Amino acid sequence: MSVLLSCTGLTMRFGGLTALDSLDMAVEEGDVLGLVGPNGSGKTTFFNVATGIYRPSSGKVLFQDEDITAKSPQEIYRMGIARTFQRSRLCLDLTVFDNIMIGNHKNLDFGIIHNLFKRRSFMAEYEDNLEKARSMLHALNPALAKRIHQPVGLLNMIDRRRVEVCRALVSKPKLLFLDEPSAGMTHDETRRLMDEVLAFSRADEKFTLVLIEHEMEVIRRTTNRCIVLNFGRKLCEGDYESVTADPFVQEAYLGTDL
Amino acid sequence: MRHHPSRDLIIPGPAGCVLMATALLAWSILFLKAEEQIPILVYMISGSLLVLVAALSDLHKSISATISSNESSWDKCMTLTLLALILIFHDDHYTLFLLGTIMVYATAVLGLNVQLGYTGVINFSAASFFGIGSYTAAMSSAAGLPSLPALLLGGIVAALVGCVLLLPVLRTSGHYAALVTMAFALLFRVFLEVNEWFGGPQGIAVAPLTLFGLDFSQDMQLWGIEFSFYVKYDLACLLLLVLAFGFVRRLERSWLGLSMDAVRCDETAGACFGVDIARWKITAFTVGNLLSGLAGALYAMMLAYISPANFAFPDSLLFLSILLLGGMGNNWGVILATVFVVVIPEKFQVIQEYRYLIYAALVLFMILYRPMGLLPRKARNYGRLS
Ligand SMILES: Nc1ncnc2c1ncn2[C@@H]1O[C@H](COP(=O)(O)OP(=O)(O)OP(=O)(O)O)[C@@H](O)[C@H]1O
Ligand SMILES: [Mg+2]
Repeated sequence: MSVLLSCTGLTMRFGGLTALDSLDMAVEEGDVLGLVGPNGSGKTTFFNVATGIYRPSSGKVLFQDEDITAKSPQEIYRMGIARTFQRSRLCLDLTVFDNIMIGNHKNLDFGIIHNLFKRRSFMAEYEDNLEKARSMLHALNPALAKRIHQPVGLLNMIDRRRVEVCRALVSKPKLLFLDEPSAGMTHDETRRLMDEVLAFSRADEKFTLVLIEHEMEVIRRTTNRCIVLNFGRKLCEGDYESVTADPFVQEAYLGTDL
Repeated sequence: MRHHPSRDLIIPGPAGCVLMATALLAWSILFLKAEEQIPILVYMISGSLLVLVAALSDLHKSISATISSNESSWDKCMTLTLLALILIFHDDHYTLFLLGTIMVYATAVLGLNVQLGYTGVINFSAASFFGIGSYTAAMSSAAGLPSLPALLLGGIVAALVGCVLLLPVLRTSGHYAALVTMAFALLFRVFLEVNEWFGGPQGIAVAPLTLFGLDFSQDMQLWGIEFSFYVKYDLACLLLLVLAFGFVRRLERSWLGLSMDAVRCDETAGACFGVDIARWKITAFTVGNLLSGLAGALYAMMLAYISPANFAFPDSLLFLSILLLGGMGNNWGVILATVFVVVIPEKFQVIQEYRYLIYAALVLFMILYRPMGLLPRKARNYGRLS
């Protein structure tokens, strides 16, 4: 398998605080990679740097052998990286469909004539996209597909997470970042959501996923490889068994969980 | 779905729209014809009570259901209602001028709605862009430009000045745009007052609108009926309003409007899905100022004389409070609130002096107790061809 995303010497400082400290890591095509570590260890910061929200203090990020360190979030999205956010960042007053379509930005036709004056061709495009969004929702949860025209603010937590996942998946990204999908949900809901995401992703051999998660049970069930961060450094990496065998991981991070 | 008994109170379908429009027309005629303070007060109170009853009962739901499922009928009914008012008051300069003012202001606030309601770009100088439209029309027609190009130029210059003013700021995030527009609003008036070329504090005369040899500043006699010259201006204002309304509504019901919403909602999340934040802010700002400028140009021609005092900072705040009152993002709300804000102090002279105080109190009340405005914006519905 080839390397899809890699970073070398990645350092991110916020004033005096070093959130990422010369981090080297690689994500391979087809990976389901778990990113774990205590609070404040730099996991979300890694996503933010890799998606172009922050410019790193030093180091490089390569995606498909192209340097994306200085690229904007928009360019990186167009290259095929999509994400969800730790704190759900949906537009609550917009409908489920609208929120999903924001994720489909790169496939929409923004021509002024098409949008404002040729309403028939616009409506045809709209119907296509509606069908697409509906079938995605249906695949995740048939009940949610029926609520496609409702504002997201009316949905419960798991359905909001589902919408976020659809928003990230609708553009068929090559690489998906999931930031703590379990936040705000019960164990059961998390398990269901992850099963749905994995079922969706298994349809595509090359689909690659990086998952930040505190619940080790989720990591065990879903990932084939883990990287443990601590104070912005890579502590260790390997499959679930070898990582959890590490004494530091057991003490510092898993002690309460296992 | 549960059955609401009150849904049956309103005749559904296009007939319901006609019925509501007729009731509205009748009430408007009575209200506008009234000259004594007592009857005006009575109409105002009875109208408010009716609205209150509708808002507190389920009536407003059936009204809005009828309207949204018969949209094109409703649009026609509203246009015809305005047209009917213009014709009924055909020789009443004062009322016609009031109607024209409402339509022009509503057009400008629709522009502000694209900026603030859709995209979240705050603009404290809407009246200045309105004024740029006015002064551009005045200066260019004085220089010999025909009316129609002068009108269009008013919109274009307002849009361009907006671009120059905010291009550097809109590329950044934060509240700089708010500060820059505030400073601009304050400077604009001073700039006009110290420039003799623009007529100074006294202002300047504006050439009337002339289309196809038809001079809009002359009263007319048709079939033996006297028509105030304002009838022609009102028809022009109505045309502008209908076009502007259709335009901003289509904008909302397109991917363009969706992107603007994405910018307003969450710039960071939007950026992670390819939404070009600066592009949509600039588009919204330009479209909004274009509408304000066009409205201002037409208003100047209708007024025939403009001065810097017409376009001061409080007027910008007035535009903003109309939007807040009507409901951010809701175009019908803009129209409703413009009617309130323009008509009530005009008809109800007692409050004329205190009107800014009353607006301020009203805006505070709305922000505290009904932040979505009188008519909260509804979820987007692409599903119509119009
Ligand atoms: N924009 C920022 N400005 C200043 N400090 C920041 C910023 N973003 C993150 N940090 C700091 O960087 C460190 C790493 O934060 P990060 O959010 O990456 O942690 P995390 O591993 O995702 O933690 P958690 O498990 O709590 O989500 C923290 O100390 C955090 O306070
Ligand atoms: Mg985090």
